[in-house]
Amino acid sequence: MTRTSLRRLPGYIFLTIAAIVSVFPLYFMLVSATNTSREVISSKLTPGGNLINNYNALMASQQSLWVAFRQSTIIAVVTTVLALLICSIAGYGFEVFHSRGKDRLMAVLLLAIMIPFAATMIPLFQMFAGLNMVNSVMAVVLPAVATPFLILLFRQSARNFPHEIIEAARIDGLSEIAIFFKIFIPTMRSAYAAAAVITFMAAWNNFLWPKVILINSQFQTIPMMISNLTAGYVTDFGVLMLAVTIATLPTIFVFLALQRVFAEGITGAIK
Amino acid sequence: MYNLNRRLLLGLGLSAAAVGLAGCGDDGGGTDEPVASEDIPKSGTITVWCWDPAFNLYSMKEAEKVYQKTSPDVKLNIVETPWDDVQTKLTTIAQSKAFDQLPDIFLCQNNAFQKNVENYPDLFADFGSSGIKYDEFPEGVVGYSKFDDKNWGCPFDNGTAVNALRTDILEQAGFTVEDFTDITWTDFIAKGKEVLGKTGKGLMSGEVGSPDILSIMLQSAGGSFFTEDGKANLKDNEKLIKSLEAYRDIVAAKIFTQVNSWDEYIATFINSKVGGVINGVWILGSVQTAKDQSGKWAVTNIPKLDGVDGATNYSANGGSSWAITPKDNKVLAADFLAKTFAGSKELYETILPKAGALANWIPAADSAVYKEPQEYFGGDAIYSKVVDYAQKVPAMAPGAYYYEARDAVAAAIPKIIAGGDIKAALEEAHKTLEFAMN
Repeated sequence: MTRTSLRRLPGYIFLTIAAIVSVFPLYFMLVSATNTSREVISSKLTPGGNLINNYNALMASQQSLWVAFRQSTIIAVVTTVLALLICSIAGYGFEVFHSRGKDRLMAVLLLAIMIPFAATMIPLFQMFAGLNMVNSVMAVVLPAVATPFLILLFRQSARNFPHEIIEAARIDGLSEIAIFFKIFIPTMRSAYAAAAVITFMAAWNNFLWPKVILINSQFQTIPMMISNLTAGYVTDFGVLMLAVTIATLPTIFVFLALQRVFAEGITGAIK
Repeated sequence: MYNLNRRLLLGLGLSAAAVGLAGCGDDGGGTDEPVASEDIPKSGTITVWCWDPAFNLYSMKEAEKVYQKTSPDVKLNIVETPWDDVQTKLTTIAQSKAFDQLPDIFLCQNNAFQKNVENYPDLFADFGSSGIKYDEFPEGVVGYSKFDDKNWGCPFDNGTAVNALRTDILEQAGFTVEDFTDITWTDFIAKGKEVLGKTGKGLMSGEVGSPDILSIMLQSAGGSFFTEDGKANLKDNEKLIKSLEAYRDIVAAKIFTQVNSWDEYIATFINSKVGGVINGVWILGSVQTAKDQSGKWAVTNIPKLDGVDGATNYSANGGSSWAITPKDNKVLAADFLAKTFAGSKELYETILPKAGALANWIPAADSAVYKEPQEYFGGDAIYSKVVDYAQKVPAMAPGAYYYEARDAVAAAIPKIIAGGDIKAALEEAHKTLEFAMN
């Protein structure tokens, strides 16, 4: 027993150091949210008494934090729901139904992963401006609802889904749509959880496209607001850290809530 | 949507002349002249993009109040937009030709002005007969937004370079701020070494590879990265070579603390690791966040280059100017700027004490507010001092590719500091810049 423990000691030491290194930035963020800008610059590592002042300063900033929070939440939730629905239908379709061109079509989709967003940004803007959709939530949501990555993720998950169940359901007279909604979705919970975490985080942290398409102040999202906090000649780092802390909370919450199923989903996709 | 409706209304309701004016917005009407004063609209909403709530946004809101005294029905819609985002949006709008999405006024970094006007002329309207008297601004500042002999900007944020020093640290080494006034870089290095020896603190800091100090040095002698006709001018540029030599000597003397990021740079003087800072006057905002150092700072002019024709103790770094877009509102927007940022002492008297927003507009300097002693700087009237410096900053050829030139020179700096040959490094930088410009 002792010998085993001793043998594991270096491993534990390494893991402890790795854990500290990973958690330290989060700790610094939390502690700095309670300190003054001056103390943050001096790298103070203990909690201070400036949280209320930082909060008041943040609330007094140009744009309401809660408006930005609401805007970000709407965008992230709508994007996640639509992306999960559309990409899972696509992934399921690619796997379950057979047609001659589907593998070629999938290859084209995968190639699309390689096109950087900056290359499509200007035509997208032109399109949405033409449709009079600048400053609308849907202009942010629509380009993110069908991603080749998610389609691939769902296609891989559908590969593990027993086709016999589909056959049995068809024999029992269930329609194709009902099979998808009543059998596929409940069985594939873990894949959905993984996709939900990935999509929600990406939508929550999305910066460049919302920044370009959401022009008016009242439509700004949380990452845009944080970027505004650092744009002046003088940055209040205490206020900035508090804003970053608040911005991080929803993603931490979503991840923790879906952590167990998320891990299953990721390993399921790799299998 | 709002703009579209407004344009529709205009199209239906206004005269053919007004429609013609609106049409100019679509075909790049940056070249036509604003109309006479009786045609200035008495009401409307002006959309503005600018950054920094404590500084630019605050100043704009005060300008709105000033303008509303004569035109109460004119309102501002100010959208907080950091500079990087302004640039991204301008590029996107210019390339997608969705000019409806432009604001009426936006703030543009002086160093990026030329490039934007040259590359995206459709986004700008010139100030033509707006009534702005450009001879009331320092020549060097007006030069940033002048292109093809037309004025495309209304100068605002003052980027005059200052040398802020900690008097308590100088005192420990037996110096006063006068010993650092009207001196050369050679003197500065000699005195700096003494301060370092006696107090262990250098007198400057900066980000590694950042060419801020270098461009300040270069402009102080009227030098530029470009020739008058806008060509790359790094190779065999005598003023640039002298600046690089001085820069190398400062680093070698160990009185210049090099750090890796902007935050660390601020920390060097906030945490008293160095006894001074040289930068645009806007840096004083960050200096003053260290409340416990009140009364221990002083402001003087920067050292000048040795043995260079036209060398002065005055320079600039940064600053920004307001631009107007060729939309329906351009006449109103130009008039708004002419009567506020280029014509209202009252405005500058409000924004100086509250936001530290210093005027480039020379008549504002007569105001009593500028002459008030500043407790933080030992009771010195630093603002009138800086406005005085601003008028002595030599004009230089700004060049459209300023940022590319800065990057090319920044890449050369580490080689030079490591003991590399200045001429060879500049030759390489020259090639890099020429490549970027073609």
